[in-house]
Amino acid sequence: MTVSNPLLPHLATLQEVIDLTPDVRLFKIEPNDPAVKESFDYQPGQFIFVSAFGTGESPFGLTSVAYRKDSLEVAVRKVGTVTGSLHELEPGATVGVRGPFGNHFPMDEFKGKNIFIIGGGIGFAPLRPVVTTIIDHKADYGDLFILNGARTPQDLCFSDEFDTWSASPGTRLELTVDAGNDDWTGRVDLIPTVVRELALSPENAVAIICGPPIMIHFTLIDLKKLGFEDRQIVTTLEGKMKCGLGKCARCNVGDKYICQDGPVFTMEQISSMLEQF
Amino acid sequence: MSQYISKQDLLSWLGKLRESHRLAAPVRVDDLVLFKKVERVEDIALDFDNTTLSPKEFFFPPTETLFYADRKDGQVELVPAEVTEETVIFGIRPCDAKGIATLDLPYMEEPGDALYQQHRDRTTLIGLSCIKACPECFCTSMGSGPDDASNVDIMLTEAGEGYIVQVLTDKGKAIAPQLAEKDVQAPPAPAVTPVPSEGISEKMREAFDDPYWGRLADRCLHCSMCSYVCPTCYCFDIRDYNENGRANRVRSWESCQSPGFTKIAGGHDPRADKGIRLRQRFGHKLLYFPEHFGTMHCIGCGRCVRSCPVNIDIREIIQDVQKLGAQK
Repeated sequence: MTVSNPLLPHLATLQEVIDLTPDVRLFKIEPNDPAVKESFDYQPGQFIFVSAFGTGESPFGLTSVAYRKDSLEVAVRKVGTVTGSLHELEPGATVGVRGPFGNHFPMDEFKGKNIFIIGGGIGFAPLRPVVTTIIDHKADYGDLFILNGARTPQDLCFSDEFDTWSASPGTRLELTVDAGNDDWTGRVDLIPTVVRELALSPENAVAIICGPPIMIHFTLIDLKKLGFEDRQIVTTLEGKMKCGLGKCARCNVGDKYICQDGPVFTMEQISSMLEQF
Repeated sequence: MSQYISKQDLLSWLGKLRESHRLAAPVRVDDLVLFKKVERVEDIALDFDNTTLSPKEFFFPPTETLFYADRKDGQVELVPAEVTEETVIFGIRPCDAKGIATLDLPYMEEPGDALYQQHRDRTTLIGLSCIKACPECFCTSMGSGPDDASNVDIMLTEAGEGYIVQVLTDKGKAIAPQLAEKDVQAPPAPAVTPVPSEGISEKMREAFDDPYWGRLADRCLHCSMCSYVCPTCYCFDIRDYNENGRANRVRSWESCQSPGFTKIAGGHDPRADKGIRLRQRFGHKLLYFPEHFGTMHCIGCGRCVRSCPVNIDIREIIQDVQKLGAQK
């Protein structure tokens, strides 16, 4: 009996490497096997494992959207050994890809609603396909409100797309940084402060948050003060992962596996979990 | 009347199996009894309580290469590892056979684990009933028992000067020896001290936020011995190692007790606290796994009880948690 080996990556080639910030690079990747490339379907919020052979593999949220039939894209912040090795690679290099894994943002359920997207730092990466999908299908959704925050202006991810986002009908973009510089004329506020100030209405709205745990923690407090209920708040959980298949048990939280049951959860689901990550 | 084999015929049967298979059986190594590849059938230990380690490593090795990445002329070629050897394991106690059946649940759940499946497909299990229970045994409280034949291909039960033989599966039939009919009775199964495991999952849920776990962890050294000796612990790590120009992707045992088990890029670790890690171990065994798979993630072999350097004892924990729940 043969079982296909889901731990065996597909070989893939780096098409393009783009610096997003001083420590975040966008990698455009294409599976070498045309059949794999063609059948690689995925939804906003899903993730893949990318291998730097000889160093290891790590999970990354996909920042691209499948319907554009373009390369697979991941935004990688250089923080460890695998991300360090990936940052050394140049276009043409061979990497490995496994996936897609996990559940996804319920884009269909978001239809007709006002969407409040809140991303902090590299946490904006998995939110970018949500933004792209809504902007590409704007008629299906209500107003789109994007709040993108980072430590400094240089650390804001996807700055090349800010003009496109702002120019899209029914879309507003707010940027904020923890610390500005001489060229920065925008907000210097923490994300929760901006959320409080903007005071968006929870009526027919959904808030999607992704960022460092401390940012999520304080932003939730302010969203709840604004009247957002747990079921209206969607976030992603991050966990150590080695397989993406619910087997290595590294991302096990209570009876859930972030890699399979998540990474996308509503606050309602998270509140009902025994253990809080 | 029972199907029967004498001790002498048993050894000559195992000797024949050794010629066609990799035969693993309990062998004495200093004061340990370990499953080893058998070189001479005379080395096989027949009078042991249970092996020091379970046969888990034959299905889920402590380290195992998943594939090799070869670099040739700027190209990368992936060569998946394969299990080719046919193995017979002799002398598995019923609890450990249940341990293998328990490992099957996560590893064979879709999408199945390719290497684990290959190990399972190419291995035949010969069980050996327990004629004596160890002081730490509590198999009967974890859904098994000293004469439980449900998870092996052939079951042997010592009776008189030989063994009663039950051939239970097609795999078992394929290697079964010549058997005689004999009028022998299996000795009564030994008594095993029970633990109050009934309803423990719900009690674990109730005791989740109890300070009990922090107090228990005060003495834990997070040495992870409990995970390494456990027949059902299946958490793993995956890393790349470079050897002779090849990158080997290697899977190895990992323990939820090690610091850093859940530490993610950027430094956040939701289980930096030892008490929370200890709670995870027992939560997984007694609550999450049973909820997901409908069976305990413990087989009552008692190895963690014997091995823990600070006497953290799952039997005591089960008793304590039953009482914690009752206080509420």
